[in-house]
Amino acid sequence: MSAETLSAPPGRSTSRWTSLPSLWRQTPLSFRIGLIVLVIHLLVAVTGPFWAPYGFSQMGTGRPLSGMSRVHPFGVDQLGRDIFSRVVHGSHIVILLSLSGTFLGLVVGAVLGLFSGYVGGWIDEIIQRFLEALISIPFLVLALIAIAAAGPELSGNPVLIVLVVALVYAPRIARMARSVAVDIATRDHVTVARLRGESAWSVMRRELLPNATSVLLVEFALRAGYAPVLIGSLGFLGFGLRPPTPEWGLMISENRALIIVTPITVLGPGLALASLVVGLNLFTEGLARILGRTVKLGVQ
Amino acid sequence: MTIFKLVIRRSLMSVVTLLLVSLIIFSMLEVLPGDVASRILGRDATPETLEQLRTELGLDKPAPVRYLTWLGGLVTGDMGQSLVSSRPVEEILAPRIFNTVLLSAYAFLIYLPLTIIPALLQALNRDRSVDHAFSVVTLVLLSVPDFLLATILLLAFVVMLPLLPAISLVDQSSSAWEYLRAMTLPALTLAIVMAVYAVRMLRDNLIEVLDSDYIRMAELKGLSRRRVLLRHALPNALVPTLNVTALNLAYLVGGVVVVEKVFSYPGFGSLLVDSLQLRDLPVIEATVMISAFVYVVANLIADVAAILLNPRLRTG
Repeated sequence: MSAETLSAPPGRSTSRWTSLPSLWRQTPLSFRIGLIVLVIHLLVAVTGPFWAPYGFSQMGTGRPLSGMSRVHPFGVDQLGRDIFSRVVHGSHIVILLSLSGTFLGLVVGAVLGLFSGYVGGWIDEIIQRFLEALISIPFLVLALIAIAAAGPELSGNPVLIVLVVALVYAPRIARMARSVAVDIATRDHVTVARLRGESAWSVMRRELLPNATSVLLVEFALRAGYAPVLIGSLGFLGFGLRPPTPEWGLMISENRALIIVTPITVLGPGLALASLVVGLNLFTEGLARILGRTVKLGVQ
Repeated sequence: MTIFKLVIRRSLMSVVTLLLVSLIIFSMLEVLPGDVASRILGRDATPETLEQLRTELGLDKPAPVRYLTWLGGLVTGDMGQSLVSSRPVEEILAPRIFNTVLLSAYAFLIYLPLTIIPALLQALNRDRSVDHAFSVVTLVLLSVPDFLLATILLLAFVVMLPLLPAISLVDQSSSAWEYLRAMTLPALTLAIVMAVYAVRMLRDNLIEVLDSDYIRMAELKGLSRRRVLLRHALPNALVPTLNVTALNLAYLVGGVVVVEKVFSYPGFGSLLVDSLQLRDLPVIEATVMISAFVYVVANLIADVAAILLNPRLRTG
């Protein structure tokens, strides 16, 4: 987060942003809490595989279904695997897939949306109708049929999950980017650029994109916040990553049958998933406030 | 007249959207990735069984012909036959849709008080600890995936406080009481997920309305606090929430997939998951089309309501 982005909101003088600590104090509380939660999650994701007490598929780490203890904070599953280690090992998988899927969706959506809004006319109309149609399929249903369409050879493939997240988000991000492009397309600097004879691509990149940055940044954060839930839902339903991958949604579904014996084996991965999403949501809300935008959390 | 035209135009757009949805679904599931027959049969396919299934499905005809046949069937209510049970798709769908409609109605019934009461409490105690507490709770609930919420509710009401059944199996022979018991946990899950979005919105709307001049006027006239709140503030704050409710209906179409699966409730959502697992193409296509149809109609209603309720839009 650079000083330029933070000093953006109107009505605040630049001189107040002097040192890093004061910069920190100027940000909304939700942003600060969200960022701290995210940093913890990122640290676990990056360093976790080195300090996790056991391997993610290591069996016989303790008595199966022995519940919460000092050695096994999240208990032990049916196969004798340490759930805490599995949650820690799963962290980078969940975060990496969420971020890359959302980023791919952002790139595709931004290009499509900015282009559509800039060129206008019948091309815009056709693209909009198609995006509208894609949005009209409930996102989980769209994700499920995309996975079904990919066929059994690809099911459980992390690349497929990334593509599915992108497929679900790109139309929604494109719609947002288009509204920005339509708004900016009539401004003078865009008209001048067009009259200079610049290509549509160059106008998009140099005139539209810089103006759309804050919208796209908030969109990215908002969607990234929901991606772990989408990936988890797919895993939970048995259409996401395959066992023994320690993906949190998959783990919740695996241990759900034994929730009566050891609730912590479900609540542990659940806590990891929920705290990541809470962190991302708080971060998004704070980021939106810093950029002078409003964001409706959770609206799909 | 202009409103009428606007509504007609908006409705026609919905029809176009649904046509495109059908095209997308058909091409995703049938045209794009190679051969359907080998996908249905999987690894244990032999050339003979493949050939037989292809003729059975009409796969020897070109894709556009198949698409039009399928679309024509959808419009006339003939959705084909299940590949697994060989029963007509409509016959499989009807009881599932009935169950899901029942579940959704129950969920909406719980959703209303679950939205209005916390929002009222928050707006009346604005910026006090009650308000902040509810804000934190809704934010956390917003971040809890529905499958996790369902599992936690299951733990609470089935394991710790054994009042309700863990598995919501019902059929035509179930009594109303059995239905009600079976539906309570799935409906509660759906209602909480929907209410979380709406509470946040209704709270902000209520606060805005309570600050307005006509509420002050009503208070100065000496009306009771209760009357001001329920007769003057709430109806006006609810109007913008209509849009969220339509969006919630749209959420419901996807939400039932997960929630019904968690509780093994025999509805429309679990049918989709089951038919995906069995690769029962005609059933998948029909369920996806219906879910898109509900979504599009919910959005259409929200937009038409917005047009009718907003005088500024009427001239547009």
